[in-house]
Amino acid sequence: MTQKLNVIVIEDEKNICNFIQTTLENHDYKVTTAATGKEGLSCITSCYPDVVLLDLGLPDIDGLEVLRQVRDFSTVPVIVISARIQETEKVAALDAGADDYITKPFGTSELLARIRTALRHSQASAPGKTEAVYRSGDLMIDFDKRLVTIAGQEIHLTQIEYKLVSLLAQNAGKVLTYDYIINHIWGPYADSNNQILRVNMAHIRRKMGENPAEPKYINTEIGVGYRMREE
Amino acid sequence: MTEKKKNITIRNTIITVAILSITTIISYFFSAGTNRAFNTTIFYILAVMFIARYTDGYVPGVIASFLSVLLVNFAFTYPYMKLNFSISGYPLTFAAMMIISSLTSTTTTHLKDQAKVITQQEKMLMETEKEKMRANLLRAISHDLRTPLTSIIGNSSTYLDNPDTLSEKDKRSLVQNIYDDSNWLLHMVENLLSVTRIREKDAHVSKTLEPLEEVISEAVTRLKKRLPDAKINVKIPDDFIMIPMDATLIEQVLINLLENGIYHANSTLPLDLEVTIDNGYARFSVTDYGVGIKKELLNTIFDGYTSTPSSSGDSRKGMGIGLSICKTIITAHDGKIWAENHENGARFTFILPLGEQVYDTEIECDSN
Repeated sequence: MTQKLNVIVIEDEKNICNFIQTTLENHDYKVTTAATGKEGLSCITSCYPDVVLLDLGLPDIDGLEVLRQVRDFSTVPVIVISARIQETEKVAALDAGADDYITKPFGTSELLARIRTALRHSQASAPGKTEAVYRSGDLMIDFDKRLVTIAGQEIHLTQIEYKLVSLLAQNAGKVLTYDYIINHIWGPYADSNNQILRVNMAHIRRKMGENPAEPKYINTEIGVGYRMREE
Repeated sequence: MTEKKKNITIRNTIITVAILSITTIISYFFSAGTNRAFNTTIFYILAVMFIARYTDGYVPGVIASFLSVLLVNFAFTYPYMKLNFSISGYPLTFAAMMIISSLTSTTTTHLKDQAKVITQQEKMLMETEKEKMRANLLRAISHDLRTPLTSIIGNSSTYLDNPDTLSEKDKRSLVQNIYDDSNWLLHMVENLLSVTRIREKDAHVSKTLEPLEEVISEAVTRLKKRLPDAKINVKIPDDFIMIPMDATLIEQVLINLLENGIYHANSTLPLDLEVTIDNGYARFSVTDYGVGIKKELLNTIFDGYTSTPSSSGDSRKGMGIGLSICKTIITAHDGKIWAENHENGARFTFILPLGEQVYDTEIECDSN
């Protein structure tokens, strides 16, 4: 019998907590809830969670501070729960080590998808287990051959463009911030202006023949970054 | 307060001394050699008028006229560099200068006071206007919030009170209603929240350059998340275009306009969302193929909450606040928004300035 995956929910709003707990327990997760940052931190140290859901607006400690403290001793995937308007807060959380964020209000399916993605990435980052091929719809990326195809047709990308696509694909389902991407592709001393990144993304989209209204492969989260669709 | 008074005194002194010195220098050159104290007197009268005009209160003018009389007597009348009060007509000159200066001071002070009163009145008028708008907005908001809330409370209490008698289908429809109404509420709240991004001070927003295609795609994606059946044809230029804007707000405008079209066109034909670039402006238009906008509403459609409540039966989906927020947002971007009817439906258009930055068009589609 497989062991249930353990999720800690740190959220002070009782109704939201209940809803998350009910949903997750229905999908065979074991859920522990904490209403304050302190409680949450002690929970994380004591019961080895597989995923942490963290609300940024906590009554005692700032959610970002909780996140930093967790990152001092653990690499457990943390999904931040935040409100729509505050992109800067989302970016700050992601840069502080959060794996993903989910915007309030969210539906059940979105929540479950985020948790699955976070779990998959935390397992995939274990050594010796990188996938050789990424597939989503018609798009296929072969990391060994450095080959990108859509419906069997090869897409010719420049060096930078390929790096960008493969970085996003290796983190499919996860949002990557502008700064993270720029750091990885252009190096830490690159201009922090993200225009060059966005121009490159525009090139890539055109080469992939994306419909600007409804991109099939790469989603934009304006003010935050990009997210590649998962299978 | 005393600090301010001190500052005013210093300022007055400086102005008085400066004007008197300049006058003395000018008078010196004019009267050099001649013995016409008459001219210099006129100069000093002018100086006193200027001083009265540019200082606060009566005191500087009176002091200036007194000094002028002494200066004229001392420097420009015989015997030079000596005071001599025995010249005939002297008391008259003195009196005239005194009267002129006090009259000028009185007039200018009076004028200044009046100007102050007028600006204050204008400020108060604007304040009350603002207050009125705020009250109207609040009334509209509470109306728009109460309707879905009533429905949510009603549906959920029906569900809770009749656990045994309701069929599975009824229960489902009750919960579905709750779901729909809360989504509507959320939309409202997001609209209202978006206004808080507009700076209170100058009613403007912080703009950053955003790629047009990303803004459009996020707006459409967000709308489809809530209304999966929405049909929208998007047409945007092939070029890569960056437009200075607050993307969250412009997305909100696009979503509001699209949603307005979906709810109010009474048509199942897909909407058109088109963006074109001309003359330094990006022009966004949302076109529906439905019933169009009533003529009497065309001019006031963006005032939202002042229009007659619910001329259509479906007041809940009234986009009053949504459209007025669109206008607020676009105005804060230095853009313009308007509504019009075309042959078979309505069209909402807004334009945003592209700013100095000109987009680069070097993107080519080399594959496929």
